[in-house]
Amino acid sequence: MDKKVKKEFDPKIVGFLCNWCTYAAADLAGSSKMEISPALSVVRVMCSSRVDHNLVLTTFFNGADGILIAGCHPGDCHYGEGNYYARRRYALLKKVTESLGLESERLQLTWISASEGNRYAEVVNSFTEKIAKLGPSPINCRSDL
Amino acid sequence: MNDTERSAARMRSPEGIRGSLHDFLKIAVDKGAVDSVLAPVKVPAENSYAWILMNDPAVIESASPVAPVMPVQGAKALKSLTRKGKGESRILAVMRPCEIRAGIELMKLNQVHFDNIVLVSYDCPGAVPFQDYVKDPGFSEESFGKMIASGRPGEENIKPACGICTEFSIVDSDIHFGYFGVDEGSAFVIPVSEQGAELLDAIGLDRDAKIADWESEISSIRDKRTKKRTETLSAAGERIKGLDGLINAFRKCIGCHNCMSVCPICYCRQCYFDSEVSKKDPDFIFEIAEKRGAMAFPRDKVMFHAGRMTHMSLSCVSCGFCTDACPTGIPVAEIFSYMADITQPTFEYIAGKNNGEPLPLRKFEKKELPLVHEIVKSAEGEEGSDE
Ligand code: SF4
Ligand code: FES
Repeated sequence: MDKKVKKEFDPKIVGFLCNWCTYAAADLAGSSKMEISPALSVVRVMCSSRVDHNLVLTTFFNGADGILIAGCHPGDCHYGEGNYYARRRYALLKKVTESLGLESERLQLTWISASEGNRYAEVVNSFTEKIAKLGPSPINCRSDL
Repeated sequence: MNDTERSAARMRSPEGIRGSLHDFLKIAVDKGAVDSVLAPVKVPAENSYAWILMNDPAVIESASPVAPVMPVQGAKALKSLTRKGKGESRILAVMRPCEIRAGIELMKLNQVHFDNIVLVSYDCPGAVPFQDYVKDPGFSEESFGKMIASGRPGEENIKPACGICTEFSIVDSDIHFGYFGVDEGSAFVIPVSEQGAELLDAIGLDRDAKIADWESEISSIRDKRTKKRTETLSAAGERIKGLDGLINAFRKCIGCHNCMSVCPICYCRQCYFDSEVSKKDPDFIFEIAEKRGAMAFPRDKVMFHAGRMTHMSLSCVSCGFCTDACPTGIPVAEIFSYMADITQPTFEYIAGKNNGEPLPLRKFEKKELPLVHEIVKSAEGEEGSDE
């Protein structure tokens, strides 16, 4: 890909954030006036385990350049064990997308607690950077999908 | 599975395994060990088979426990009978290994209940592709008959999925009929579960045969099959990999969802991919079309298949019904088996292998399995995870 295009590329990232931790961390990061990449559109979910495969695949096939799933740290899920199930589901999604050669690196799971405003900003900024380097999702130039 | 007891009864019939199994059904009902039998019976037009639940001796007489074709996955028949819990009558069900394995997966999904079912499996030579059978039942019957008589798995005129099947023999059933490599006309009747052993006792079949030779025959066939499977599926993987490969693989797909409706694992009453929510707003489609320059319909073909792969590849038993049902000849089963052979080992799971083991997505480990950990470790942050 030509450099000029890359420079103009404005990644679109969808973040599925758990209400009890990462969503609060986003809030904290915002009210602390941290610099956060505007590429991420936030979808608030009640738990990382709410993010089912169809949600992710629909987002992916409709052209998101990156997808971030973020929940409470293992052991801290508001509902006890949701994030452990989410972790398995994520592993499956990664495996399937990787085995289909679908740039599975555009999909990322992470844990951010409510007090980690800093970490939230870091994760979002570095994921945006990573996606910017990868360039637009190839799905976006396919009319046959 | 009961590994301590590996001695078996022996049955003989001039009609080979088909005769022995047929005799077995009759005896089991006769002696009152079961109330009825679920097995394939040839339809009156003689161009297909149907699952029949029967207790009338005259109907049982017409049963074909080892049928050349599989028009309906047996697990689906079991589901119709037991989806609301255990039934009143005790049923002996004769099924192919992949049908029993699908039944085990459905049991884990609460769609099948085994309480009053005695499962009988047999060394499966493979099944004739349904289209071939319908076109020429005579030829198919003949070639299948030869296959069975040879006491070996079939090589030709069987479904592609059968040609690379490694679970063609004993599974987590109650009773297994082993006859590959056993002298002609003879079959071992092997108790697999306690229930199976009790039934053999109840009908007075003495277990005095030793089956070590049969076991080594099975494992040598399995080794060859495993090799063939790995080769075939990795070639399939290479073909479909990448956006181009994937789109090409499903270019002929007409979106009929036949592959899904015949799949024993896809039990949902309303599939997301058939639902209203999955259909995007026309405005949204126009928007995407404008961005991408054009738009092909039906939309979301690849997403449908990728979605099914995430939903059912962990439970896929490679029965091949999807390929059999595809009107445009897409090797659906090969593609899904490729995925199943990747996702199942990731979770150290084999679909339909063990009816006491939960589905991989219904459980977790705080310290995840090595292959799962390999994938999720980047999510865990620097401090590492867990407790
Ligand atoms: S059966 Fe074939 S044509 Fe129909 S949805 Fe499945 S792959 Fe597509
Ligand atoms: S509540 Fe946050 S991951 Fe479950």
